[in-house]
Amino acid sequence: MSTSPAHESVWPRLEPILTSVRKPARYVGGEGNIVVKDHAAADSRWLLIYPDAYEVGQPNQGVQILYEVLNERPTTVAERGYAPWTDMEAVMRAEAIPFFSLETHRPLRAFDVVAFSLAAEVGYTNLLACLDLGGVALRAADRADDDPLVIVGGHAAFNPEPLAPFVDLACAGDGEEFVLEVDQVIKAWRRDGDWDRTRLYAELVKIPGAYVPAFYEAEYSRPPSSKLRGTFPRRAGVPYRIPKRTVSDLDAWPYPKRSIVPLTETVHERYSVEIFRGCTRGCRFCQAGMITRPVRERSRETVKQMVADGVANTGFEEVGLLSLSSADHSDILGLCGDLADAYEGTSTSLSLPSTRVDAFNVTLADELTRNGRRTGLTFAPEAGTERMRRVINKMVSEADMLRTAETAFANGWRHLKLYFMIGLPTETDEDVLGIAELGLKVLAVGRQHGRRNKVTVSVGGFVPKPHTPFQWAAQDAPEELQRKLGLLKRRVANDRNLNLRYHDPRPSVMEGLLARGDRRVADVVQRAFELGARFDGWDECFDLDLWRRAADEVGVDIAWYTRRQRDPDEAFPWDHLDSGLEREWLWSDWEAAVKAGEELEDCRWTPCYDCGVCPGLDLQHQTGHLPIFSGA
Amino acid sequence: MAPSDLSSQAPRNQARCERGDTAASRVRVRYDKTGKLRFISAIDLGRIWERSLRRSQLPIAYSEGFSPHPKVSFTDALPLGYASTGEYAELTFAGPIPLQPAIIALNAAFPDGIAVRAAVAVADGDPKLAKWLLASCWDMHYPPGTVLEAAVTAVEQAAALPVLRERKGEPVTVDLRPAIHQICADRACVRVTLHHLQVPVRPTEVDLALRQTDPALPPPALVVRVAQGRPVAEGLVEALSGELVEPLHPTDMRLPT
Repeated sequence: MSTSPAHESVWPRLEPILTSVRKPARYVGGEGNIVVKDHAAADSRWLLIYPDAYEVGQPNQGVQILYEVLNERPTTVAERGYAPWTDMEAVMRAEAIPFFSLETHRPLRAFDVVAFSLAAEVGYTNLLACLDLGGVALRAADRADDDPLVIVGGHAAFNPEPLAPFVDLACAGDGEEFVLEVDQVIKAWRRDGDWDRTRLYAELVKIPGAYVPAFYEAEYSRPPSSKLRGTFPRRAGVPYRIPKRTVSDLDAWPYPKRSIVPLTETVHERYSVEIFRGCTRGCRFCQAGMITRPVRERSRETVKQMVADGVANTGFEEVGLLSLSSADHSDILGLCGDLADAYEGTSTSLSLPSTRVDAFNVTLADELTRNGRRTGLTFAPEAGTERMRRVINKMVSEADMLRTAETAFANGWRHLKLYFMIGLPTETDEDVLGIAELGLKVLAVGRQHGRRNKVTVSVGGFVPKPHTPFQWAAQDAPEELQRKLGLLKRRVANDRNLNLRYHDPRPSVMEGLLARGDRRVADVVQRAFELGARFDGWDECFDLDLWRRAADEVGVDIAWYTRRQRDPDEAFPWDHLDSGLEREWLWSDWEAAVKAGEELEDCRWTPCYDCGVCPGLDLQHQTGHLPIFSGA
Repeated sequence: MAPSDLSSQAPRNQARCERGDTAASRVRVRYDKTGKLRFISAIDLGRIWERSLRRSQLPIAYSEGFSPHPKVSFTDALPLGYASTGEYAELTFAGPIPLQPAIIALNAAFPDGIAVRAAVAVADGDPKLAKWLLASCWDMHYPPGTVLEAAVTAVEQAAALPVLRERKGEPVTVDLRPAIHQICADRACVRVTLHHLQVPVRPTEVDLALRQTDPALPPPALVVRVAQGRPVAEGLVEALSGELVEPLHPTDMRLPT
């Protein structure tokens, strides 16, 4: 198929218009470490798309990993694409330039697979724009047998239902092994050349973790309830629940090896390495922590090798040690010490996203900044009062926070950033004001170490997410979030060294609708796209009125999806995607949260509380921590 | 020829080095910015240089201070969208290093589109690089078949060339003529050598002047800065090599550089 003239590079048509769009560097490719292969010599061709602007999507770790994993196969091509900014989309439509890849500027239809990485819900209208610009039917049912296969994966794909009509295949869980197995099927499909779409789907669903929405049907109760009764397979041999994929040994998958080095500014410019995947802190709001269990650590030696190679072959000035709670790595002090030894006195800096509130985290940050370049340090207490933190299971006392701040400011850190959420279940105004009080107390600690020390309090609106204990929760209306922000603003207005940052609460309405939506919400996504919604994660683009209009036109009540607390036994649109967590456990954890504010210990160190993940996967946490057994 | 396949890119590993086997800690280079790299801004270009230097593992010197940066200084920025075979930079290394291997290592580390084509050692007391860069020679490639002779002749013979320019949001009229050292055409290419004035004249403004004579003129498909140096009666003396960049001769069959 790659020999067709329709599949040749669009670069000659693109080049003349590039000076007429903003930030043309987004579209030219040519970055360091890209892989450019001959399409004609390959027998499967993947286009990996991050459905947001280049500068947001390029640093994405998931795309980078799968790009390398696929390209290591000699006969597989993987290229990348990003959503064109609105000015570029207009020019592309005017000039009839299709959606293209960055490596070879081939049109989307030159690829066998179009795979979208969905880190969050905000890219859904961009996803439709990419398909539409690529000349592929938006609805899977309208696609021809040899049209590209449309795949979604990533955290948001754990509830793919709002996108179900648009995608051919969704991946639940880790993608490394999954894409290679799909690639085998793609090669067979292209080699045989006579499969119909159903045959292709039938081969794909044999792969563990593969969800083909066309093989499932959602059933709803009769109005007025209209609740989902469940999503059921409509074909023999198709699983009732799709088990998630889990890569068990991260040392065997040491990616990224050769990170792409952008030619223009992006949101994260660094060589990033995951030091472990998964988290057992048990924060009840955190989808990432729930769906990525169990914990799988990368060894100190592997991380060191990856960093040494990654810095050498990218030239990046910064190394990021990523995970959901990096200080929890069992060998973190040794790892940081070794890396600090290796890079002390060089122009390479090391960073650790610091979310755990304790003095140990400051120790680590100190270790990574021996050269003394200490500016900002970030912590996430998440809620303002101890009562509220018990509800969300973020076990941080005020004394912990102040002790941590004391250590940080005493060691020369001048600016602490604190992350919080508002709109949490059971939240009162006192809890909201507690955010300001805690911020001011931290600032008072800072002042003792320097008049110019600063504290930034960052506040986001809570959106309940699938596969978490809070999946039953009602979401605050944007007006209510605005009122709560007003309380905070008034409380901190007089202090110039306390900087309050917050987002517009309105996009969280759309995020909530898409996070917990069912298949009926797909019509809203499509209508919003048709009405012009794009880049919904960008304040300058997001238009809630447009989404409301889209929902009205297709008969969807947004508040029913966002503002309503779910019934205990209510079927969820994501029930057939098995994250490993037992529903009974999630429910008991939800009840523990809202009724008693009971805390749950981290199961890395304390006895198993049967969330269900480990036995299902025949895995256990792979850490160097010795388990502590209770007497029972 | 597709505008981006400039055949003139310096072949990698073959950059010319004055005093090539000598070692130096201060080095001036002439480099290309071509192909896809012409859509990269000057700020982004600085970052690409920094990362490529790090990747090359050359012992570049770092500035002192809170956030040290490699010691690379650039001359005036090339406007976004223009290609160039005549960009210049000055590098300072931590100690003397042999030039030729350094340039080979650096060119291997650059992304496609940037390549050093010549390097010279800087001796103490040498005049500043900017003193050597008095004019730029530009090639403006119009679509094949564009007839340019009449417009070019008119511009060349004009006593004054008033064009509108926006300055602080206000339209002002400036005379381009004093900035134009030489202008000539060969087939669909205009070669113009522009003096570096306090407020630089851009090739787009020369295009505007040509368009005032011939309103039917299509916009140039590609503008390339060929070289920078000292304007002389025979053309432009390139700053690092001293080689002459001649005006185009209408009979020339060679590809523009």
